[in-house]
Amino acid sequence: MDLEVETQTRGDASVLILRGEIDVYTAPRLRQTIVDLVDGGATRIVVDMEKVDFLDSTGLGVLVEGLKRIKNREGSLAIVATQDKILKIFDITGLNKAFALHASVDDALKEPVSGA
Amino acid sequence: MMPGGNGAQDVPELELEFPPKPEFVGTARHAVAALIRLRDLPEDLLQDVKLAVSEACTTAIADGPGEGLPVRLFASVEPDRVVLEMIDPGNGVERAVEGPPTEIDTDELPFDRVLSLPIIRGLVDEVAITPLEGKGMSLRMVLSVRPDTDGTADA
Repeated sequence: MDLEVETQTRGDASVLILRGEIDVYTAPRLRQTIVDLVDGGATRIVVDMEKVDFLDSTGLGVLVEGLKRIKNREGSLAIVATQDKILKIFDITGLNKAFALHASVDDALKEPVSGA
Repeated sequence: MMPGGNGAQDVPELELEFPPKPEFVGTARHAVAALIRLRDLPEDLLQDVKLAVSEACTTAIADGPGEGLPVRLFASVEPDRVVLEMIDPGNGVERAVEGPPTEIDTDELPFDRVLSLPIIRGLVDEVAITPLEGKGMSLRMVLSVRPDTDGTADA
């Protein structure tokens, strides 16, 4: 299965809606989208992973890189994830502490930018 | 018998051979997942196996092409466990046997090389990394079959 990356704008936020699988083959697509958003001035990104069927360390690495990039511009990157199979990899790596994890995009958008 | 195995029960049900390149990781993951689904094993085990396979493949890709040799992946489902073994012809054995970092540092971590093995160690019940004669390594992973709590594998 491939990875689809859809970008929506909601207020001051860019919401990335991901569908499919994120691994060493597909993760570069997500990375490029995040890089383009940050380089284009985005300071608030919400990554919606509710339709992601699979995530591994490469995808996680892209998210961490995105978090670092946007934090350097005093922005935020929040994750929307409720599936156990997605949350588990955040838990195993301890990166659940590094990200703001939310149950819905609406919840993520309620957080102030500095909360990420 | 599986390369790192030690008995008649280690006859693999699935053998895959492919170049250590990103475009083949999904195929390997789905092939092993199909084997798990054939046995109606729990969904959480299916997800763990898929992640273990993907991380093993990612490790092999990070380890380099191994002089053009393919990666070999073996999988078996036994009554109480799933056994996976990756024969990685690349250069990663020294890094692999060093063990996981004590703490993951998001400011320093080069993610393409460091996270896969810690995830595997956190995911599976047994892991054995064995240097192969000459070059490369065997990465053997065992996942126990536990009582189903969330339904059988159907995703």
